[in-house]
Amino acid sequence: MRLLTKTTLYFLSAMTILLMVAGYIIFRRFSTELDNRSDKELLQEEAAWIAYLQSEVAGGITFSLRTPEISIYPVDAPPNDYASITDVKGGPNGLSYRQLSQVVSIYDISYQFNIRKSQAQKAALVASTTKILLLIFVGLLIATLLFNWLISRNLWNPFYRALQTIRETNLQSMQGTHFEETDTKEFNELNAALNAMTKKIHSDFVNMKEFTENAAHEMQTPLSVMQSKLELLLQNENLPEEDVQLILDASTALQRLSKLNQGLLLLAKIENDQYKATESLGLKAVTEKYLGLFSELVQDKHLKINTHFENDFLVRLHPLLADSLVSNLLENAIRYNYEGGSIDIRITGKSYAISNTSLQSPIPGEKLFKRFAASGREASSNGLGLAIVKKIVDMHGLAIRYAAQQGVTSFEITRL
Amino acid sequence: MKLLIVEDEKALRESMIQYLEYQGYLCETADNFPAAMEKIRQFNYDCILVDIGLPNGSGLDIVKALKDMESKAGIIIISAKNSLEDKLTGLESGSDDYLTKPFHLSELNARINAVLRRRTFGGEKVISFNEIKLNTDAQIITVNDKAVALTEKEYRLLEYFIVNQRRVLTKPAIASHVWGDEYEYVDNHDFIYTHIRNLRKKLLDAGSGDYIKTVHGSGYRFTDN
Repeated sequence: MRLLTKTTLYFLSAMTILLMVAGYIIFRRFSTELDNRSDKELLQEEAAWIAYLQSEVAGGITFSLRTPEISIYPVDAPPNDYASITDVKGGPNGLSYRQLSQVVSIYDISYQFNIRKSQAQKAALVASTTKILLLIFVGLLIATLLFNWLISRNLWNPFYRALQTIRETNLQSMQGTHFEETDTKEFNELNAALNAMTKKIHSDFVNMKEFTENAAHEMQTPLSVMQSKLELLLQNENLPEEDVQLILDASTALQRLSKLNQGLLLLAKIENDQYKATESLGLKAVTEKYLGLFSELVQDKHLKINTHFENDFLVRLHPLLADSLVSNLLENAIRYNYEGGSIDIRITGKSYAISNTSLQSPIPGEKLFKRFAASGREASSNGLGLAIVKKIVDMHGLAIRYAAQQGVTSFEITRL
Repeated sequence: MKLLIVEDEKALRESMIQYLEYQGYLCETADNFPAAMEKIRQFNYDCILVDIGLPNGSGLDIVKALKDMESKAGIIIISAKNSLEDKLTGLESGSDDYLTKPFHLSELNARINAVLRRRTFGGEKVISFNEIKLNTDAQIITVNDKAVALTEKEYRLLEYFIVNQRRVLTKPAIASHVWGDEYEYVDNHDFIYTHIRNLRKKLLDAGSGDYIKTVHGSGYRFTDN
């Protein structure tokens, strides 16, 4: 529910209760006032009748009067000092009467005075009070909705702008993200906090990237030292065979480390957007180049390559990244293939698909492209190949789909 | 042949000296920028190996200084940076080659050899091992002055072997030199064996000695003893 709808609802419920209370109080006040007025009239009327009886009706003659409003008749009871005024039911339309009753003694004859007055006025009062309150309520409702609409258009504008900025921002371009000053204190506080946060996130991100890049660079020299020492060690002609094997194992591990290092460096550079595309290039030529380069591996594993090249798949990609993309996919297709398996490469104007026969069990899609997710499957894999592919794809408005069924693994790259 | 090795990492410098001196080069070293500048001003070298990241300066400035001096020395940049841009900057500055760390010493040796061959004017560009001769310009191989037809890969293999004669060459080093960097890290390097077997057979058929020795199944050595 929108915040505004919520506040409107709360406001309206509070208003309803307030109006009802106010209506009750107003009704009570008017009702008492009306009662007082009719009581006064009743007493005046009684006084007038008493005066009439005293002046017009001579002693010894009894007087009696019965109308729906007034009944005066002699009664055998002691006179009351005070008149009692009560509400009596039984009027027309279920209305009650205001009735004055008193026994008054005139020339030693006790008369019962019953004077009643209709309370139709009061019913009218309730009706008009309710009507007025309803009018106020409807007026308030309309006013509230109108104000809220205006408020949401203007007052909340900075909030929606900030929200839009947050939605549009990403780690790469966070440097340029700025939440502007508004004339609302709360939004200013929010924006200041957001500015501080994005700045922190961005600087952390930059630090992390720089660290990865520097660490990878700094590692190359010690790696070179180790590699050269092992190579020199290997030149010793008197080395026993098992020692040679030890050196070679160390050397292989060193090469893996070095490749891993280069992979991390490449990832950091792609993230840094250091490879800007200057023009579109077709993946067909790149694929042909790598099919040539990898021909030795393909022959070695007796793989069958089926190519279906229709229109070229054009992408805006730095040539180095295009190489990396294709070589990683092709390397995977060769590495996870079996002796005598096959690789299908299909290039159309709209997509680039590569699939290979494989004995590997399928990898859950979300895990597949994560760094090191697949490492350990194969000694020579460093677990970065697909992460690099995914990064390149993500950074260049492309999408990649992975499917594995019936012993065939396939990747398809399309434009977003 | 006189080399100058400009590299600040002592252990790596020593490896390079050890390998290259065995191959018959005279090596001098400098471990920082001013020392390197001093040496290139005072002496002449046939080839200079320059690390880009140096204390007190950049290796690229040494390359520029050499160009300003119109030095005849071959220049090979050695860098920890592997990106295309860095390579282009290095080559545009006037260096003859660019080698990325970590590298195989045998590869470094092959690169130095190639640069020196290109730099030698007038001289015959032939490398030889006993009865085998390689004319590197025409890519013609002769055994006892009789031409032998080799495939491109076999030629590159033989060239790499002769340049690094008597040294153990590991399969990854051979693979990355002959087939390209992509081949250094592949699962297995068994495919090399086929090519080496063919090369050995062709050389033997042409009457050369059996110089390609397998080293415990781990690599190869080209030697006559």
